[in-house]
Amino acid sequence: MDILQINQTSDYKKAGPLQAHFNPYSYNGGTVLAIAGENFSVIASDTRLSEGFSIHTRENPKTYKLTDTTVLGACGFHGDVLTLTKVLDARLKIYEQDHHKQMTTGAVAAMLSTMLYHRRFFPYYVYNIVAGLDDEGKGCVYSFDPVGSYEREAYRAGGSASAMLQPLLDNQIGFKNQQGVTRIPLSREKAVNLVKDVFISAAERDIYTGDSILINVITKDGVTDERFPLRRD
Amino acid sequence: MSERYSFSLTTFSPSGKLVQIEYALAAVAAGSPSVGIKATNGVVLATEKKQKSILYDENSIHKIEMITKNVGMVYSGMGPDYRLLVKNARKLSQQYYLSYQEQIPTAQIVQRIANVMQEFTQSGGVRPFGVSLLIAGWDDDEERPYLYQCDPSGAYFAWKATAMGKNYVNGKTFLEKRYSDNLELEDAVHTAILTLKESFEGQMTEDNIEIGICNKDGFRRLTPAEVKDYLASVQ
Repeated sequence: MDILQINQTSDYKKAGPLQAHFNPYSYNGGTVLAIAGENFSVIASDTRLSEGFSIHTRENPKTYKLTDTTVLGACGFHGDVLTLTKVLDARLKIYEQDHHKQMTTGAVAAMLSTMLYHRRFFPYYVYNIVAGLDDEGKGCVYSFDPVGSYEREAYRAGGSASAMLQPLLDNQIGFKNQQGVTRIPLSREKAVNLVKDVFISAAERDIYTGDSILINVITKDGVTDERFPLRRD
Repeated sequence: MSERYSFSLTTFSPSGKLVQIEYALAAVAAGSPSVGIKATNGVVLATEKKQKSILYDENSIHKIEMITKNVGMVYSGMGPDYRLLVKNARKLSQQYYLSYQEQIPTAQIVQRIANVMQEFTQSGGVRPFGVSLLIAGWDDDEERPYLYQCDPSGAYFAWKATAMGKNYVNGKTFLEKRYSDNLELEDAVHTAILTLKESFEGQMTEDNIEIGICNKDGFRRLTPAEVKDYLASVQ
């Protein structure tokens, strides 16, 4: 019971009772950002995978194509990201075989929420954002917490630099804290440029964000890829 | 200690038949007639609801029931078995909605109900359901009507028009002559009533038949007043 080691007379430290611990999670960083337009959606992520002060790889995008109209952005603990995307892909395939059609973006979001909540007491350590087109062809973005709480939004930043990106998006897309500005609907070009700019800013200050960005644009014609380099320090 | 059998009571006969299912189908064929007709813009379900005594409170229990906003069903055979399936179907539809935040497509609910019925032909200590179901649905994204039949075996069939219960052979023959691909819902209701009339003993009134329709506005059971109007145009 010598926890304070007051009566320890030797010069070297002797370990007292130790509790074995195994941390099932680790944090691999990464940032995801999605914006919903009138007839398109944009979802972008950085491509760096880190752990502590190390970089695992500079080429690991965090967006995953689920259907022709839905892309998932997922970051956090990479092990859970991989498993979650595998299970999601399987569920989507089964749905397609049963229904003879692809899942709508709204249905994917609802299903993801139930999948996450099923692990309420040992969560998937993943921050998810689902972006795509709704059944009217309009852009939609759904953001999630690790246990499945979700909401449809116009734009959302998730992951390590989310706190830096979200306020900027609030200002530029939501026109918050601006007076007397004409609200023009966001065009595809403007959205993509905004995404590039905010990621450049995030890479300046967040150590987990950098290397390059992968931008997916979802329209009725499909999903396009666009890469853009970021600072590698 | 459980009194449950672990073996199925539905077993194969030497000729390869599942006799329990055959008997269940016999129970269905002895039940009151029901009819389903798919039109270009909707589906109609109709059934005879003859009560054994005038003391029955006719409008308290319904044979035609809604499962979701867009799906309804009717049966021929044993009422209590039907009740269970209705409850089950409703629960399954809501489970689907919980997962996908979308109304269950008609083909999906039919598959799920049929699966339940099949389980009762292979599970321990249970007997098959003594009902055949007619399920009518409207799918919003495809904007088209569906009509399915589910049998005690768990088999399901998509129909353009069909009859079940007493005299179903005559009913189907009648429908084969009367059915056309460009029938509209109004005409389909008319035809359904005529089909029921073929096997009806006595005077058909709005209290001894039930009619349900399913179109883009969803599924609903017709009120006795509406049924009376349709009957007037028939008689």
